[in-house]
Amino acid sequence: MTDRLTLDELAALMKSAAGLTVDPAEMADRPDTTFAEYGLDSLGLLGIVGELENRFGRPLPTDAERAKTPRDFLDLVNGNSDSSGPGRGTARAASDTVTTTGA
Amino acid sequence: MNSPHEHRHSVVTGIGVIAPNGANTEAFWKATKEGISVLDAVTREGCGDLPLKVAGEVRDFDPGELIEERFLVQTDRFTHFAMAAANLALDDALLGRADYNRSPFAVGVVTAAGSGGGEFGQRELQRLWGQGSRYVGPYQSIAWFYAASTGQISIRGGFKGPCGVVASDEAGGLDALAHAARTIRRGTDAVVVGAAEAPLAPYSVVCQLGYEDLSRCADPARAYRPFTDAACGFVPAEGGAMLVVEERSAAEERGARPRAVLAGHAATFTGAALWEESRQGLAHAIEGALADAGCAPEEIDVVFADALGVAAADRAEALALTDALGGRAGRIPVTAPKTGIGRAYCGAPVLDIAAAVLAMESSVVPPTPNVIDVSVDLDVVTGRSRAAELRTALVLSRGLMGSNAAMVLRRCDKSPS
Repeated sequence: MTDRLTLDELAALMKSAAGLTVDPAEMADRPDTTFAEYGLDSLGLLGIVGELENRFGRPLPTDAERAKTPRDFLDLVNGNSDSSGPGRGTARAASDTVTTTGA
Repeated sequence: MNSPHEHRHSVVTGIGVIAPNGANTEAFWKATKEGISVLDAVTREGCGDLPLKVAGEVRDFDPGELIEERFLVQTDRFTHFAMAAANLALDDALLGRADYNRSPFAVGVVTAAGSGGGEFGQRELQRLWGQGSRYVGPYQSIAWFYAASTGQISIRGGFKGPCGVVASDEAGGLDALAHAARTIRRGTDAVVVGAAEAPLAPYSVVCQLGYEDLSRCADPARAYRPFTDAACGFVPAEGGAMLVVEERSAAEERGARPRAVLAGHAATFTGAALWEESRQGLAHAIEGALADAGCAPEEIDVVFADALGVAAADRAEALALTDALGGRAGRIPVTAPKTGIGRAYCGAPVLDIAAAVLAMESSVVPPTPNVIDVSVDLDVVTGRSRAAELRTALVLSRGLMGSNAAMVLRRCDKSPS
């Protein structure tokens, strides 16, 4: 298993970190719905970022905790962002060699 | 000069209780009236080996039944209690979103807290020192803060009026009610106000072990017996109460039932553990509350005592009542229902306010469980409840750090409607 984050995993994190029950299919169908609309506040997203950083053993891009929608967040975490800055390529390169264990 | 706000009176329209003897107001009042003691051995995880043996635990409480999970994960047990009690109070007052949706700024929130979120804080500190700072959850930044309950109740209910938190020792429970009354005098229609505490987690209990006045007695029937020669300190408790307090005419306009008027309050400070000095402080607070209420000493029908359970403090309280109320003090029924549930710090005086309102409505003075052979010159109601016509109640509270407060409550006359 790689450290690519899926919507299912994001939904599980929203549950464990912020107590929110969100259907991953809904996030897939409505990619522009914001975290705020799902009830996730900035501390909740920060908790998810922290959990993923511990899981992956590497920092996420600095913009991850400011992502407005699940799609933006997944793009950043999975390194698909069109607007990758200088630091981001490094993070992506590093991520290619990291696999999660037991997750 | 006449202020436009001069005649805005604060009335209690809703009561919500989460207490060791009942996780709703009805259960609390039934057990209180019957004088049932629920003091028992401490069973909370991690507390077993600590020298505190007896406490008032809230055992019959499932926060998940009452509070959405997203609020639960980001808050401590003390806020769970406060949010649940606020729910009950709002339901009791029949104050729903439809009542304030168009004017959310007309409803405020005030709580008092003594210690904040000890259990949540301990868990996160254990992660900090056990796993490292990257494992501390971000909600730590708000959950253990003593202001958390005010904020979460405001957010959850959509109350956008004046909000506040009183940090003033145990007596802060009464000061919070006084603050709510001031808020209402200044133009707010309703305030959700009260206090709840959760001091029964290992870290929080260890913090309390420094209090000389904490009872170490292991026998629940003997651990907390104020006003007797056997007094050996106080037993701590968790839980508390939230009230809906409204401006009287606004309450009546929406068809709510005014139940008691927050008629007067005063607070003083006489220093930590200086119980002899608290006599003067408490007497001064009682006199101030009476003056604020425009109430004569002989109008007081019942006293809900602070009842610390420390000989010097109990004696000071009895003398303060005589100082402020005169010779009649010895003939007024005095009760301390908290001897059956323990002292929930800031929650304790708010539970007493709830009990006082219910006592006036039921024309009955609840007893003081576990207290027999009273050794002070007060008419302490022991054993069974006592029937009495109660129009005016005096509620007293002192904190371990030296705050003293008194509040006068008047029963609302039965509405003609």
